[in-house]
Amino acid sequence: MKMPRKITFTVNGVKKQVEVKDNELLADVLRDKLQLTGVKQACWRGECGLCTVLLNGKPVKSCLILAVEANGAEIVTSEGLMEGDKLSHLQKSFVENGALQCGFCTPAFTLVTHYLLTQKPDASEEEIREYISGLICRCGTYNEIVKAVKQASQYYKK
Amino acid sequence: MSFGAPYISIPEFQYLKPKTLKEALETLSKYEDEAKVLAGGVGLLNLMKERLVEPEYVVDIKGIPELRKVTYEEGKGLTIGATVTLSELENNEIVERKYTALHEAIKVLSDPVLRNRSTLVGNVCEAFAWMDSLSPLLVFDAELKALSVNGERMIKAKDFIIGLAETALEPNELVASIFLPEPPKNSASKFIKFRSRSEFSVINVASLLANRDNPPERILRLAYGGATPSPVRVFAVEKVFKQQKPLNELLKEALDVVFKEVSPMEDMHASKEYREHLMETLTIKIIRELWGE
Repeated sequence: MKMPRKITFTVNGVKKQVEVKDNELLADVLRDKLQLTGVKQACWRGECGLCTVLLNGKPVKSCLILAVEANGAEIVTSEGLMEGDKLSHLQKSFVENGALQCGFCTPAFTLVTHYLLTQKPDASEEEIREYISGLICRCGTYNEIVKAVKQASQYYKK
Repeated sequence: MSFGAPYISIPEFQYLKPKTLKEALETLSKYEDEAKVLAGGVGLLNLMKERLVEPEYVVDIKGIPELRKVTYEEGKGLTIGATVTLSELENNEIVERKYTALHEAIKVLSDPVLRNRSTLVGNVCEAFAWMDSLSPLLVFDAELKALSVNGERMIKAKDFIIGLAETALEPNELVASIFLPEPPKNSASKFIKFRSRSEFSVINVASLLANRDNPPERILRLAYGGATPSPVRVFAVEKVFKQQKPLNELLKEALDVVFKEVSPMEDMHASKEYREHLMETLTIKIIRELWGE
């Protein structure tokens, strides 16, 4: 009865078919079966936000989503933000502003702020801080993250 | 919500994704306690990770079109479907303008990323004392529509939560939507939350005021979350505000009534005395703000 089933989704623009069990979490499948190691896990319960991916365009925490729920969905991980083998303007801006020390949270922060800037390129500092409030950076580089996002916002204005 | 050390996996179960309401209700009727409903998953999957809930069947209701809707009928009210996310409600103009207390509660409920996934109905069904969504629903006289193979019934928000993590829902029932009647004419509402070390409320309060300058017609409603195992609306306070008296006197009388009706609990978040202090402070603050003072 609890046999694996095949699901199909688009990950970073590429259609993928994976065999999953019903109780497998999306975060685990992306990391372990598709080797997308930009998806991190630290709390496993939706608090740290480091497993964030874009699911049908919106940031969500993939440790609280079953892989089967993503059947047919479009997923973007931080690997998908890159422009070819180069960092995106936003990712570069994180590097230039020292918006990371250990870098463990960077994939999640770039995905969430990429979404925010896509929706609202002129987001204020307060709005940026509010939008990243569901993610934790243990190195405490929040001020630098805000700076990086503000600097990169010019590339999202049309 | 977390009750201890995190588990990184969840126990086995069978995932079902009905395409119609009928199919979903038949599934719940067939499996009853062995099945759990999955909407946003933020609550359920966490409880499953903690082994506090171990269903044989998980019934994903996101494939059912009727449950995805928010509909508003002028003069009647607002209906919010079971799979509507908190983000969708945050961006809903009617919610913001007419049901301000609910909108303010949603804006401070968990975080923006989780709100892309969590649902209002899910939050209510989780039935935790410190949840933010129920006190606003209480001041708006909200009702939940419960469906089963036997038909439908409306459950008043005030009767829905019967204890910590316990609801009036039968195992074969599904909450299809929440209905909020049109708020009273000329009313305004607010929500204030006090939190300490986590995102959960120690105390939250929702209030609604209409016809401030006409005491016999004046309406003031007050509801608290976090004070008692289930959020509570203090109906007895409402007649206090029908009197023609200065606000200071009304507040004093109102607080006497509140503490006669509600005896705050003590738990890991706060002592009884601390909760009383917060209730008094927040009650005065929210009413003064609505009053425009």
